[in-house]
Amino acid sequence: MAEDMSATVTLEPALEEVESEVRPQGPPPFFPEPPGGSGGDDRFGDDDDHAGPPLSNAYLGLLIFLGAETMFFAGLIGSFLVFRVAHEVWPPAMLPRLPVGVTGVNTLILLASALTMRRAKIAIRSGGQRELVRMLLVTAGLGITFLLVQGYEWLRLLQYGLTLASGVYGATFYVLVGCHAVHVLGAVIWLVSVLWWAARRRYTARGSAGVALCAMYWYYVVALWPILYGLVYLY
Amino acid sequence: MLEQLIELMNRLNVNMLNWLPEAASTYAPAIDEVFYIIYIITGLAFLLVTVVMFWCLLRFKARPGRRARYSHGNVALELIWTIVPTIVFLGIFFYSQSTWSIIKYPSEFPESSVQVRVVAKQFAWEFHYPGPDGEFDTEDDKMFDGDMVVPVNQVVGLTLRGSDVIHSFFVPEFRLKQDILPRRDIPAWFNATKTGRFETPCAELCGPGHSGMKGWVNVYSDAEYQAWVAEQWPAPVDTGVEEMGQEDMPQGGVDPMDQEDSGQADTAQ
Amino acid sequence: MSESSAATHAGHHREGFVKHYFFSLDHKMIGRQFLFTGLFMLVIGGLLAMMVRWQLGYPEEPLPFMGGFSEDFWDGESWWAQTAPFGIVTSEFYNTLFTMHATIMIFFVVMPIMIGGFGNFLVPICIGAKDMAFPTLNMLSYWTFVPGVLLMLLSFFVPGGAAGGGWTSYAPLAAVPDYAGVEGHWGVTLWCISLFIIGFSSLMGSINYITTIINMRAPGMRLFRMPLTIWSLFIVAILLLLALPVLTSALAMMVFDRLFGTNFFIPDGGGEPLLWQHLFWFFGHPEVYVLVLPAMGVTSDVLSTFARKPIFGYRAMVYSMCAIAFLSWVVWGHHMFQSGMDPVLGTAFTLTTMLIAVPSAIKTFNWLGTLWGSSIRFTTAMWFALGFVSLFTIGGLSGIFMASTPVDIFIHDTYYIVAHIHYVVAGIIFGIFAGLYFWFPKMFGRMMSETLGKLHFLLTFVFFNLTFFPMHFLGVGGHMRRIYNPEQYEFLQPWQEMNTFITMMALCLGASQIFFAINFIGSLIWGRRAEDNPWEANTLEWDAPSPPPHGNFLEDPVVYRGAYEYSSPEVEEDWLPQSVYLEPAVAGEEGHD
Repeated sequence: MAEDMSATVTLEPALEEVESEVRPQGPPPFFPEPPGGSGGDDRFGDDDDHAGPPLSNAYLGLLIFLGAETMFFAGLIGSFLVFRVAHEVWPPAMLPRLPVGVTGVNTLILLASALTMRRAKIAIRSGGQRELVRMLLVTAGLGITFLLVQGYEWLRLLQYGLTLASGVYGATFYVLVGCHAVHVLGAVIWLVSVLWWAARRRYTARGSAGVALCAMYWYYVVALWPILYGLVYLY
Repeated sequence: MLEQLIELMNRLNVNMLNWLPEAASTYAPAIDEVFYIIYIITGLAFLLVTVVMFWCLLRFKARPGRRARYSHGNVALELIWTIVPTIVFLGIFFYSQSTWSIIKYPSEFPESSVQVRVVAKQFAWEFHYPGPDGEFDTEDDKMFDGDMVVPVNQVVGLTLRGSDVIHSFFVPEFRLKQDILPRRDIPAWFNATKTGRFETPCAELCGPGHSGMKGWVNVYSDAEYQAWVAEQWPAPVDTGVEEMGQEDMPQGGVDPMDQEDSGQADTAQ
Repeated sequence: MSESSAATHAGHHREGFVKHYFFSLDHKMIGRQFLFTGLFMLVIGGLLAMMVRWQLGYPEEPLPFMGGFSEDFWDGESWWAQTAPFGIVTSEFYNTLFTMHATIMIFFVVMPIMIGGFGNFLVPICIGAKDMAFPTLNMLSYWTFVPGVLLMLLSFFVPGGAAGGGWTSYAPLAAVPDYAGVEGHWGVTLWCISLFIIGFSSLMGSINYITTIINMRAPGMRLFRMPLTIWSLFIVAILLLLALPVLTSALAMMVFDRLFGTNFFIPDGGGEPLLWQHLFWFFGHPEVYVLVLPAMGVTSDVLSTFARKPIFGYRAMVYSMCAIAFLSWVVWGHHMFQSGMDPVLGTAFTLTTMLIAVPSAIKTFNWLGTLWGSSIRFTTAMWFALGFVSLFTIGGLSGIFMASTPVDIFIHDTYYIVAHIHYVVAGIIFGIFAGLYFWFPKMFGRMMSETLGKLHFLLTFVFFNLTFFPMHFLGVGGHMRRIYNPEQYEFLQPWQEMNTFITMMALCLGASQIFFAINFIGSLIWGRRAEDNPWEANTLEWDAPSPPPHGNFLEDPVVYRGAYEYSSPEVEEDWLPQSVYLEPAVAGEEGHD
């Protein structure tokens, strides 16, 4: 990911060069030449922004990636709902209940991490590099706590006899929650790498795209959880 | 109208649907009719596109001194070829819909006089008959491996049940095809209009033995069918049943086996 | 960091051999890598098809060229002796053959060539960009694809052979290893993992295409000035982005079912086999349009170029592609009319399916409109584009039969479906050939032989129709698809001659491709050097040198008009490139767009 962002950084000046070279050559014929390369009837309208595209490549790329992630979870959630709707009694008899209370607290922990992530983002915008590191540390800590609590609950559920093979109840629970956990793990790894760079003062008030991108992914992973919690634990 | 068109196609030797297996159920001609209508419509569309294309290829070959017409389109034309296909396609939809619902909507199934449960397993068909009591899963049920016997001109109700993977019950002459899912009963029906012995292949890939997984539907005339039933379920010695059977038969009840009893009694005497 | 900048600035320095041919960040080299991989897999997929056809034409007779093996060989333990004893295709191997033929042709031939090959090569250059938005991601996309390919090929050699549950891998046949009836059960698992991996490759590609097209167009390149190929690739990238993750989630569940004892799709444990079909076709139907839209785009560009006439109804073409893309999300149930799904849903899906036929009809008529009043140059690329139009017409029209639910009762799972999918998907190969003959000079800087090309077209077109058209007859006769030996059925006895005929034609179709191979490889080495714009075409890629260097353009292009200004009254020539600036006095107002 980091390399892709760097690609963007190098590309943007190249685009500006295009404009400066082109302008003097010849007047555009019958319409003003928007440097971003779009015209008046551009549905994705970026004609009010003459400095370049409104979303940087990296930001746009991540947004598109999140679209794919959403469809992946839509597939899993859709499958879960098919089974959930088909069963009057859920969880099916003889299978352990899910730990609603503990996971509820855990949900709050994860939601809190979004707040600290936001504070980290705000901090770096005004150049607060120490605050950035502190807030990223807290965020990573909360994320890891979430994962540890989840892992502990899984171990307990396994002891109570809820396994992948426990009908569709066990299967949907572990696969859906597990896929989310893998995503949180991925987000934590990304966050730790950002933290590593932040500790080396790589980010500045003007150059904080790396933090912003990581934050966007973090928000996504956090926002996904309450939906899963509501469906898997409460519904 | 349709018949004349079919006649015309036969004469021009472009009637692909001549290859259809004979139609041997009540709804087979209805399906064939939709088939023919779509065949004619698409055939005309194909002809139109091909003729125009060949005309263009012959007429508009590049020649020195001639320039292509500079045109970006024609809104009126484009509207025409948007709206006309839309109307045609919607027409086909409504036309198809009525036939589909008669064949497949369980709510519109006709009352059946014979019940058969078809059980599909890797790689064979089992045909279960409920026996004289008309109830499945009772003592007098009988199972036949690969051969189903039904009377002609009577509605046969099928319960399709799978046991392992997905299979598909297909009788080409009846134009009947229905996938069979494991652990689920799917209803279907047919009413054969011709006697004979029809092959019932499995139409859905079901494993290495998929090819060759087939059975037979034997459509018997009424008399033959009743003889067959009498042979399979010999009547109890008590003759009282025979009379009751005679009375039940005209009502077309769900219990076919009573009729068979009487039939057997007739032939025996 | 340095790698990325190397990709974006015109090649100042020479890279090493490995870096240039293997780990290149240049979109054109990555495109060529995808192209060659796809062509290689086309050979494999084609050979599999030949074996399928052999078994159908000459059931349970030894494959040709088997006489060379000794008795000892067949007694031995070698892979081939086990898989096809005495050269006779077994029913297990037969199931593997058609499963892998479809999988390879769809995921490893059409997708990599059309989207990976043409997409990578054309997207940046046709919109006037120096490279993709994320060159490194682009390279990773190819190198994620390769393990997927290797895994799929490797799966032939695991115990029990490769996947044999059909390319649709319906559960429970594919979800429960025991039902496959072969020892070992790795085939379908590897199939799932391989598709899972290329899902990531495709995801990276989609992110790149969408970002590049939105953000990196040259000055003046409005969305509505893009060539239709780029439009189609843009729409396809969006479709893939949203459709493949659904397949990925289904594949994950399938692997869990097979390996870890879950029961998502296995009814014995409470699972739902229809769920797999719903998820698969929810992906699968957009996938069909993923395959066909780029062929439509390429055809539009080639037709317009060699008809020397603007494409008829450019906006209608774009809007109908958008309509197809949108509607492709709500038609998946038409694959499942006979599946045991609620028949009322069948009715609903018929309606949407009939609607999606409309934009396809519009496109066909607009192609005819493009030809009307044109001035046609009959190049090989043009012949293949015309071939695609006529095959797509047949494939599209035959689709209406199965969209009609009652007719589908009869023709579902028969050779009618096989004929239909081959007219559409194998017809796409015509789009690929049109694109290859058209862009070969730009890709490799040399011209292909037109004589060999036309011969290749003629043979391919004739044998294609002789192979696939009779399959309609088989379907009408009730001939089921995916059966190993038609002679096992009494009602199919009369069809055996036609099966044999089709097999002979299919072998001829395969053999005709030798002319393409000769032409392609020969032209790579000995072809005449290509000029920058050999076809006198308008789009930006013809502004660049052939082949374009790193960074594509010698001068950064500025776009002044749409892609299809052929025979414009503004200029004397019958073409007017997008990047040529005309004095306002000469330029008419209708001249742009």
